[in-house]
Amino acid sequence: MKTERYDRQIILQGFGEKAQSLLSAARVLVIGAGGLGCPILQYLVAAGTGHIGIVDDDTIALSNLQRQILFSTADVGKLKTIVAVERLQEMNPEIEIKPFNLRIQKNNILELLKMYDIIVDGTDNFDSRYLINDACTLLKKPLIFAAVSGYEGQLAIFNVKDHQGKATNYRDIFPVPPQAGEIPNCAENGVLGVLPGIIGTMAAAEAIKMITGSGKPLINILLHYNLLNQEQYQMHITPATDYNLPTTEDDFLKMNNHHDLESPSTYIEVDAIQMRALQQLPSTLLIDVRERHEVPALDPATYVKVPMSEFDTFLNTDIQEENILLLCQHGIRSVAAAEALQEKYGHSKKIYSLKGGIVKWRDHFLTPSNER
Amino acid sequence: MELEIISFGKIAEVIQSQQLKIPDVSNTEELKIYLEKSFPLLSKMKYKLALNKTIVQENLELKNNDTVALMPPFSGG
Repeated sequence: MKTERYDRQIILQGFGEKAQSLLSAARVLVIGAGGLGCPILQYLVAAGTGHIGIVDDDTIALSNLQRQILFSTADVGKLKTIVAVERLQEMNPEIEIKPFNLRIQKNNILELLKMYDIIVDGTDNFDSRYLINDACTLLKKPLIFAAVSGYEGQLAIFNVKDHQGKATNYRDIFPVPPQAGEIPNCAENGVLGVLPGIIGTMAAAEAIKMITGSGKPLINILLHYNLLNQEQYQMHITPATDYNLPTTEDDFLKMNNHHDLESPSTYIEVDAIQMRALQQLPSTLLIDVRERHEVPALDPATYVKVPMSEFDTFLNTDIQEENILLLCQHGIRSVAAAEALQEKYGHSKKIYSLKGGIVKWRDHFLTPSNER
Repeated sequence: MELEIISFGKIAEVIQSQQLKIPDVSNTEELKIYLEKSFPLLSKMKYKLALNKTIVQENLELKNNDTVALMPPFSGG
């Protein structure tokens, strides 16, 4: 092995060539190449982690660049996995980096996980996080969990036995996934770019510690970090008894508490062009579920205002129109509203949610023709 | 009894971290009921308690000067 590249870590006390060869043989899968995924990948690659997989199905957006530091302005619109592999391979051509340009689902995740020894979750939604957790728990794969919200982050290592022989997973903290829209995400809540930088870097450090057997990784510990006051708070996690996870792959594939495969969520996500087509139909109601203070304000004659905070009351009234389209700033709350309406009306009405929300289709909402 | 409440994320917008004097509460289940009554928005939020830095999995007795943290789930990446 050529060692000059890694000289500064090899000379570290307690690291040495042994740790470096462990890193070189390691197989790490990073799921999500976003705000957390970028720094996780950069440091794992730079440190010489031998085999790295990157899972993401998204393309680079301008609003990603404030925190997803592998990508540049010219990359907007390109696939994250492809650009990431290109950049990372330039940084370190001596390791193997594989792109998996797909969305993890129940029917593909087990095969993916089996190819790697340590999994790092840097995704941005609860559906993916629970799916990854449950699959890793089934396969007993060490899982490094990293998540951010606002100015705060969480970090933990699951499915690794502590000195008492106990292993825990995310369901030992939160056994049941939150409903869509119950917890705000980065698009709704905002995030300062350096926060996923810090938490992602700490996640990479935990992966390196696990691989090389250095220090005390956060096994069965939930670390909470607050950027505003630089405070950390660690909580010990013990196994809970109030949930059941499948113990065989067959049972895992039959699980029905993962939203992506959960039955009839039959509302449809549409783009602005499909929305315009819907507007031409005779019996269509357009509902803006943003709060009253949010901008840009839309023409109330076209878009009926029903803020999420008033939605429960609204559900008690009956809608006459056959087609209902919901919209909000980013297309996330509107999904929650669509689910609530779907539950009430079932197949008797067609329910739609504007994917990406007003922010994505801003031009459409600002054109004067829309005011008619 | 007096407890130190530490809250994180959106929970901190409902209950700030503080020393809280709490009457007639002897365990973590009673504390949850008391907090959700005193801070009604909390009852609509998902959170987990940690007592003296250990995640609470069953009803535990509280002592004077215990520290209770309220932790919401984060999903952002």
